[in-house]
Amino acid sequence: PAPAEAGRAPGPPDGGWGWVVVFGAFVSIGFAYAFPKGLAIFFKEIQDFFGTSYSEIAWVSSIMLATTYGAGPISSILVNRYGSRPVVMFGGLLCGVGMISAAFCTSILQLYICVGFITGFGLALNLQPSVIIIGKYFLKRRPIANGLAMAGSPVMLCTLAPLNQFLFDNFGWRGSFLILGAILLNCCVAGALFRPIGAGTAPVKTQVTGEGKDALKGEITEDGKEVSNPLNVTTENKTEEEEGKDCFEKVNQYLDFSLFKHRGFLIYLVGNVLMFLGFFAPIVFLAPYAKHTGIDEYSAAFLLSILAIVDMVARPTTGIVANSRWVRPRIQYFFSFAIAFNGACHLLCPLASSYTGLVVYSSFFGLAFGMVCAMLFETLMDLVGAARFTSAVGLVTIAECCTILLGPPIGGILIDTFGDYKYMFIKCGAVMVLAGTFLFIMNYYNYRVLAKEEKERKAKEEDPKSVRTENEGRKDWNKDSTQDGPELEPLREQAEGVKKEMNGT
Amino acid sequence: EKNISLANPTKVELTCKLDENSNLKNPQVTWKSESETISHTSKSQNSWSIQLTISTSSQLGSYSCILKGEEEISATFHLQVPKIEGKEKPIITYEGDIAVMVCKTEYAAMAWTWYKSNGTKLVHIDVSPQTDKFQIKRQSASVNRLEILKLTKEDDGVYWCESAFALGSSKGRFELKVLSIMAPLKPFLAVVAEVVILVTTIFLYELYSKKKEKGGEREFDQIEQL
Repeated sequence: PAPAEAGRAPGPPDGGWGWVVVFGAFVSIGFAYAFPKGLAIFFKEIQDFFGTSYSEIAWVSSIMLATTYGAGPISSILVNRYGSRPVVMFGGLLCGVGMISAAFCTSILQLYICVGFITGFGLALNLQPSVIIIGKYFLKRRPIANGLAMAGSPVMLCTLAPLNQFLFDNFGWRGSFLILGAILLNCCVAGALFRPIGAGTAPVKTQVTGEGKDALKGEITEDGKEVSNPLNVTTENKTEEEEGKDCFEKVNQYLDFSLFKHRGFLIYLVGNVLMFLGFFAPIVFLAPYAKHTGIDEYSAAFLLSILAIVDMVARPTTGIVANSRWVRPRIQYFFSFAIAFNGACHLLCPLASSYTGLVVYSSFFGLAFGMVCAMLFETLMDLVGAARFTSAVGLVTIAECCTILLGPPIGGILIDTFGDYKYMFIKCGAVMVLAGTFLFIMNYYNYRVLAKEEKERKAKEEDPKSVRTENEGRKDWNKDSTQDGPELEPLREQAEGVKKEMNGT
Repeated sequence: EKNISLANPTKVELTCKLDENSNLKNPQVTWKSESETISHTSKSQNSWSIQLTISTSSQLGSYSCILKGEEEISATFHLQVPKIEGKEKPIITYEGDIAVMVCKTEYAAMAWTWYKSNGTKLVHIDVSPQTDKFQIKRQSASVNRLEILKLTKEDDGVYWCESAFALGSSKGRFELKVLSIMAPLKPFLAVVAEVVILVTTIFLYELYSKKKEKGGEREFDQIEQL
């Protein structure tokens, strides 16, 4: 029967064009994370030019970072509505326009707007969709794909840092901003690679949604009947839908607030928000700390290079490890371990007093940092499923936005008050060990509850495994459907709709 | 070796301390300036010092303590006027834009003067209300700012900032390069062209592969009908 066939969506390709998409995401994510850090080279010159203080210049970076993370929900809504490709291409265009107009700025306020808001917003429109589309193209090899794509950040940073220095030496800051604007347009190229997939066709969707609704009402029992009256059913249900939908449901269609009832999502949110409080501060203060202990400027900068190189290698490696048979079902534990490992590194850092000690610290820090970043989005996808990931990532980034911005300043205050860097490291280490332990315990609890729910579900249904859905490639992965409420989400994939239909039969 | 910056006349005490673990026992100590030996020295357990009153620039220079025993060790102090941080790399600016040169020292300077190099001569830079070309701003006692407005190619060159202290003066060097707008425009257009070409290629490739798929599907449908 036609609807059932059309409704059964194929699983994600897990390869083929998917690897091209990973490359595009690599570029896009790389720019989103590395570009704000790379701009720091220009700040001293701009500070002299406009005659402002250091903190006024630092605001440019902060506004950019805040916009990139804070505009997450907007990005999610746009992706839900238009798909990844148009959003990334528009984002790339916005970044380019932002930097080009920044080249002609005559005041620091204009820089805040051009570099901070416009470019920051463009980068936000790059980051979210890139992560989302990986979830659409990969399932079995998703951790590897995520690890490879996230490796874009250190690679781009290592490329941008010398490039920015070269541009600055030859063209000054205005010329550099102009050229960087053009370079950011390459995000449009990355976006062009994001071929839409898995969205299916609109008529099929409305059919299936209509069928799903009827199935819940228990009216239709045969596929054949549905085929003959697709139009009637659809139009009838559509008017019902429009009337039945109130404002909340309409918002829910674009941004899935029901995620706040999702246990896994809440655990992830709390754990990550806590973690980001101590995540970035050590990187910001590593070079100043090294100089404080008497190491010269170039060796201090070299520490950051070591970090970046280890990071570059750690991310795809972690992806491969996370994809293995032993780790993947327990990926949440691996993630908690990585966070706690990170914290342990920071706690041990004050013991390293010589340059060799700091080199060892940088290597381990790079490893831990890469491990956490590689799995950052993979674990969220694992918890909420690819369908709701779009909204989930938006909500998570806006929550993280606050702690990310607070982290380094709090570290700075600790350093200024005590005059010693070690309290900042202790604070970061403690926060991360706490976050890691929290995630470990809560995920242990979550896994047990899910296993119990799965047992209950198996007991109720007679043939639960006959339908192979997009999200449920593995037997122990019914988290998505068990966690979904009975509310109708027009964005739920056809597979789910078909399943409900079969259950109603 | 140690560098000490002195801006104003002051009294200085220089001390040479011998490490307890050193092999040298009861050495003979002499203090020397560049030209002569100093006699008024004072001694305490394992440390020797001199007191100097620096009031003119001629008293600046290197002072060293020499310890003679089985070996000979010495330490030197360089007393000098505060140095100015200039910029080693050239400052890149554009025609019609503003150039800013910031001159910084550690201590408050009495006066600041700016010069432009013209061949071997130094031309003093005047701030006159008529020309409206130069602006000199005093951000603080130790920071001075030269702004050059409405840049042209002729403004290209080497600039000097001189700060005057009671004990002398020191200079900082700045190099200014004025480029035309065309300079960054070429790489800019090159990158934009690359982006446009890549995006077009990707879309064309996608259309091409979709056409191939559709052609294949049509064949499949026909076979089914048969």
